[in-house]
Amino acid sequence: MAETLTPKSLAIKVCFCLAVLLVVMFSCSLVGTQKISLEKVLAGPGEKAGQNIDYEIFVGVRLPRVLLAALVGAALACCGVVLQAILRNPLADPYILGISSGAGLGAVTAVLSGITWSFWGGSPIAAFAFVGALITVWLVWFIGRLAGKSQVTTLLLAGVVVNAFFSAVIMFLTSIAKTDQVFSTIFWLMGNITEKDPLVLWVSAGCILTGIFGLFSICRNLNVLTLGEEEAKGLGVNTEKTKIVAFSFAAFITAIAVSLSGLVGFVGLIVPHGVRLVFGPDHRQLLPISTIIGSTFLVAADTIARIVVAPAQLPVGVITAIAGGPFFLLLLAKYTRKVSWLK
Amino acid sequence: MSDIIEVENLSFGYYTETILKDLSFKVKPGTFLAIAGPNGAGKTTLLNLICGLLRPEKGSIKIDGNTAESYSVRELAKKLAIVRQEFVPVFAFTVTEVVSMARTPYLGTFGFETLTDKKHVADALEMTDTAQFASRTLASLSGGERQRAFIARAIAQNTPILLLDEPTSFLDLKHQVGIYDLLKRMQREYGKTIVAVTHDINLTIQYADVTLLLGADDSYQHGKATDIFSSQQIEKTFGVKTFQGEVGKQRFFLPLGKFAKANQKINGNP
Repeated sequence: MAETLTPKSLAIKVCFCLAVLLVVMFSCSLVGTQKISLEKVLAGPGEKAGQNIDYEIFVGVRLPRVLLAALVGAALACCGVVLQAILRNPLADPYILGISSGAGLGAVTAVLSGITWSFWGGSPIAAFAFVGALITVWLVWFIGRLAGKSQVTTLLLAGVVVNAFFSAVIMFLTSIAKTDQVFSTIFWLMGNITEKDPLVLWVSAGCILTGIFGLFSICRNLNVLTLGEEEAKGLGVNTEKTKIVAFSFAAFITAIAVSLSGLVGFVGLIVPHGVRLVFGPDHRQLLPISTIIGSTFLVAADTIARIVVAPAQLPVGVITAIAGGPFFLLLLAKYTRKVSWLK
Repeated sequence: MSDIIEVENLSFGYYTETILKDLSFKVKPGTFLAIAGPNGAGKTTLLNLICGLLRPEKGSIKIDGNTAESYSVRELAKKLAIVRQEFVPVFAFTVTEVVSMARTPYLGTFGFETLTDKKHVADALEMTDTAQFASRTLASLSGGERQRAFIARAIAQNTPILLLDEPTSFLDLKHQVGIYDLLKRMQREYGKTIVAVTHDINLTIQYADVTLLLGADDSYQHGKATDIFSSQQIEKTFGVKTFQGEVGKQRFFLPLGKFAKANQKINGNP
């Protein structure tokens, strides 16, 4: 691969991955506990509501859920790439700056307080998780700033400490909670995709896609930033601006993803690595392809979670970890010579 | 010709400790300036001041007629390129990818390298003799090869000024000389201004046109290497005795420690 990336080769790869995503989304929409036939779905809604059940399941139940999984997967994989680059740490994931525990604490608070109001069709759990995530990220960023302008290590440490502290509070709260409350909390903490109100879905989709395109705009700078901040400045990159764009967009869309689906693990860590192993570390390519592959991966994982113990459903986080781990190890074994930090 | 780097009454310190005091010197375009001095004298600090990473406390630094602060990060990156000590990047970039990053200041947000950019990259790879391993990752190269890749990147940045921070510290003799030869060629054939921080007095004398010798005590000497370096001056600045010799017109120095065999002979110690 002595050749540098060209727009043409990138476009071909992105189109191919998008095609794969669409095929997976479509076929996953057809699979489920209730069997529906492709012919009936294609026949359209019919004249009266309720006439074509298969179509209504497809459009009203399956498609929104598949779209939701696709969105969450895209957001998590995209943020994983960005945070690994900014923190120059291959172990970073979208949750590293405290988002997971902050959102978790918000969700647990919502469950325990028994609040039932809804907002824009979103559940109180989602709203509390979203707010909790953003507050925690701000807190971590604030602590990181105290130590000086460009201290990536301090930021990481602050994230780890805040995560540990909030996790302890979550454990404390769940240990004093009632059994049924504990059950729904644990499901949320494992990462769980469920059907959502269409309005919530569209608003989140708009926000997440905007955020992802915002992050696409700093791909070039991310490449340079992985060499270190002094190097990046020497190459004409405004590092402070890039970092603020990266952190704020990543925090925002991760918070949305988390409030939609709980803490789906693994996608944000493993998809970026897998794509980097196969396609190399150039972020102009890594970021869009990881986003699409993350999307595809979570759609497939959620479909398995829906059908494997049907009619019951598994939390999708269980599937991403069980399926993702071994698959990643296979990739690692095949491409290890390309990864410098493993040597 | 007007000066490309102008440092006037520059002072800088960390917290209460003064590192540089009332430093003034000028660099003409196309000269090779070596910055020497003991550890802690402020060589790297001066380099960081010139490239805008640090701001002067007092005095000013002008690059090509304008103060370093008046440039945006991007515009400054078109004036000067920096080579620091070589390192292995976290992610597995190839030599070509790293050298291509030099074109960042010339590209837009969603930019891809144009044919011109690729030409600059290919030329830089050719000049530094790194084209042969262009598709390998930096981690798979030796220290000397990696340093050449970083110099290739600085060349591809196509700036009038090249700044280098101890470019040969960890390299063997062959690569040390190789890199200085390359820098000299850049100066002679392409008219680049070279500013190199170095510990190697002998290489400085052979390659640099002008030397800036920073002392640990805010003092400094600026001038021709042959005028500045003498056994007395080196002992004063570095606190080390040296043996001074000459080959043709070229002066050279050998450091002599307490237990050096040559030193024992000279001093008559057992």
